[in-house]
Amino acid sequence: MDKVVDINYFELFAGYALMLIPVLILWYYKTGLVKDTIVSTIRMTIQLLLVGVYLEYIFKLNNAAINIVWVVIMSLIASYTIIRRTGLKFRLFFIPVLFSGIISIAVTDAYFLGYVIKLNNIFDARYFIPITGMLMGNTLRTIIIALDAYYIRIDEEENYYRWHLANGATHNEALHPFMRDALKKAFNPTIATTAVMGLISLPGMMTGQILGGSEPSVAVKYQIMLIITIFSSAIMNVVLTILFSNRIAFDAYDNLKKDIFRK
Amino acid sequence: MVEPQRLIYMIKIKNLNISFQNEVIFKDFSLSLNKGEKLALTGESGRGKTTLLNVIAGFIPHFEGNVEVCGIQQDATTVREIRKKIAWLPQDTSLNSKTVEELLYTPFEFALNKDLKPGKEDVFSLFSKFNLTEDMLYKKVKEISGGQKQRIILLSCLLLKKPLLLVDEPTSALDENVKKIVTDYILSIKDLTVIASTHDEYWIKNSDKVIEL
Repeated sequence: MDKVVDINYFELFAGYALMLIPVLILWYYKTGLVKDTIVSTIRMTIQLLLVGVYLEYIFKLNNAAINIVWVVIMSLIASYTIIRRTGLKFRLFFIPVLFSGIISIAVTDAYFLGYVIKLNNIFDARYFIPITGMLMGNTLRTIIIALDAYYIRIDEEENYYRWHLANGATHNEALHPFMRDALKKAFNPTIATTAVMGLISLPGMMTGQILGGSEPSVAVKYQIMLIITIFSSAIMNVVLTILFSNRIAFDAYDNLKKDIFRK
Repeated sequence: MVEPQRLIYMIKIKNLNISFQNEVIFKDFSLSLNKGEKLALTGESGRGKTTLLNVIAGFIPHFEGNVEVCGIQQDATTVREIRKKIAWLPQDTSLNSKTVEELLYTPFEFALNKDLKPGKEDVFSLFSKFNLTEDMLYKKVKEISGGQKQRIILLSCLLLKKPLLLVDEPTSALDENVKKIVTDYILSIKDLTVIASTHDEYWIKNSDKVIEL
């Protein structure tokens, strides 16, 4: 197979011209998102370039402890990003979000890397870091949607929640419809995307592997496993985050604490 | 008339003090209610009628004073036990159920009430008493009126057969003739203790006790 065509820095810069389209559209419709778009694009560029440099070293070292530290750092940043994007208070939700993320990633990574593809060393940087990164990146959106849907709805529909409690529901029973709706809201888009995968979208990892020289049949198998792993990890992460955070979000009378939301 | 030696306090509130954002809602408020008594809470909006119902159901934990429900002193360790003895009709009846059947039976999905799930015969018998037709059970909630919805939730509360019924404006969406039917029925249930927040003259007139807040 031919070596992948590199993109030189001039070409990379030329590629940014495509960003003029979203910037102009967002500016024309006065969305107020132009600044955020430019800042996020610059952040993305700097972060990825730095990651490129770090990963080269990390891949060369391939030390399990360093790889784990790297993943923990990614988890810390992911947890920070999740809470910043929701309307919830950082100091209350950081620990539940972080621990749920680490547990769900540990379980799915161990199963996929250890059992499915049977790596001798599941902390092998070439697999452990990109696979975990994909899991985290793809899980972020679902957790943000689920957390927002769950807590905002309990707050807005306090009457409905109390109707359950005051008519004999246990705390878990009263929360059940909110958990169900949060899962539906968070995972409906994932299910829809999964259903048309390959028909109207070629997923990122598979495209990357093919560009990098892998056989399409191998790339497809990895992609299938990755979609399943992401789904499983994301749903575990959402449920654990909600279950862990329930412990701090309600008072001893099962009332939702009003001070969990940022003002 | 209940004989004095058989009196059982269903509700005993002593020196209740509640303030919200420096506004005093209750100051040294006391109340006792015996088993089977019907209490109407009246007064202008914002005077604390719904707040008192919420205090009894354990939704307002931060208060000064002593609240005893069904012989149980209310605190964080007993509030769940107290709620097992309550049926509650909220003022806002938008309760997210898609069908009338779901709305009626939701409380019977909880482990505590599973064995109490009524058969269709009991349900339809109450339907007819409350001027509701049997086909209504199979309708969507959006197809029925506010008054019909209010009666369905009330029926659900009554079918739970709890000793204490808390109702917030229970007849607010009902027509005059239906109001009378529903009021007469609920206020005539002998062992049921009822606390209602209401502006309804007929309900107030027929209650055992009236407290104007």
